[in-house]
Amino acid sequence: MEIDLSKISLRPFKLEDADDFFLFAGDDQFTMNLRWKTLTSKQEALDHIKDVCIPHPWRRSICIDDRSIGFVSIFPFSGEEDKFKANFGIGVAVKYWGQGIATRAAKMAVSQFFVDFPEVVRLEAYVDVENLGSQRVVEKAGFQKEGVLRKYAYVKGKLRDLVLYSFLSTDFQAEAEGCLP
Amino acid sequence: MEDTSVVQLHQNKPEDECPNLSLRPLDVSDIDAFMVWATDEKVARFCTWEPYTNKEDGLSFIKNTVLPHPWLRAICVDDRPIGAISVTSNSGNDKCRGELGYVLASKYWGRGIATRAVGMVVETIFDEWPHLERLEALVDVENLGSQRVLEKAGFQREGVLRKYVVLKGRSRDRVMFSLLSTDHRPT
Repeated sequence: MEIDLSKISLRPFKLEDADDFFLFAGDDQFTMNLRWKTLTSKQEALDHIKDVCIPHPWRRSICIDDRSIGFVSIFPFSGEEDKFKANFGIGVAVKYWGQGIATRAAKMAVSQFFVDFPEVVRLEAYVDVENLGSQRVVEKAGFQKEGVLRKYAYVKGKLRDLVLYSFLSTDFQAEAEGCLP
Repeated sequence: MEDTSVVQLHQNKPEDECPNLSLRPLDVSDIDAFMVWATDEKVARFCTWEPYTNKEDGLSFIKNTVLPHPWLRAICVDDRPIGAISVTSNSGNDKCRGELGYVLASKYWGRGIATRAVGMVVETIFDEWPHLERLEALVDVENLGSQRVLEKAGFQREGVLRKYVVLKGRSRDRVMFSLLSTDHRPT
């Protein structure tokens, strides 16, 4: 089923999203490259929305016709020295993979985020070296690959090589002015 | 009292100009030696700190940062500190990773001392910290001398991280280098 990408929207999470949230976050394939544990109940979905999504500095539900099918999170670092940097994360329900939805949502999120957080200069995304799908998403969304960081961190107990991507506020301005493809 | 691990390298190569390089803990009694490099703007150029202007600030730094540091050593020539080298530690999902940093009095630059000091750390840190998988270092794109030190010490250049730090009000690109415990001792 082809999704009309113009139906994709981003909005804050609501408690009412719990059923839809459980649908995608209850899937091991969805959480495989995230630090999240796969959700096992609607109550856990409700708790996650209440305790994590709603208080989050910038997390949005990716919606089709206002129904939640994923998330995009941008987390500014804390501390005086690091507050110009932020970390990007995204996940789309497995059944909607391969249609350009995550790429579209990523582009929308980056545009909105730099407006909401003008002091952030550098947005980073760390993607597992084996997660080719997510690498394509961030590349098509305009992130630049900087390098592979070997044995950088543990994700779900396994030591991972992570590809580091960045999107600078100056890339964003250049793109907006039509200077970048 | 920090464990006194003294690593000594004796002059055994004809091209070595520098005798008796060693690493040992840095203490408040080293304040005068510390001030030699800490007040030098050439040394501070790519560092987050401004050159020190008074001894009290130097003593505060030693008491508050050096003494409680998980791993910091003075780089010594004939047991006199001419610089320092350190490795940070992380916890949780990041405990596999430590960041290497070093600083050397400018009068001792260009003699391979930093490279040897890095080598001495590499020889010991993976044994002292068995949980350490990755030693990394972030070097300013314009700091070619320090990039050469790491390359000679066997680190791999992984990429340029754009606007990775804000240094003295300006965004700086940093080059990421790493050495894995398996690079050092292939299993």
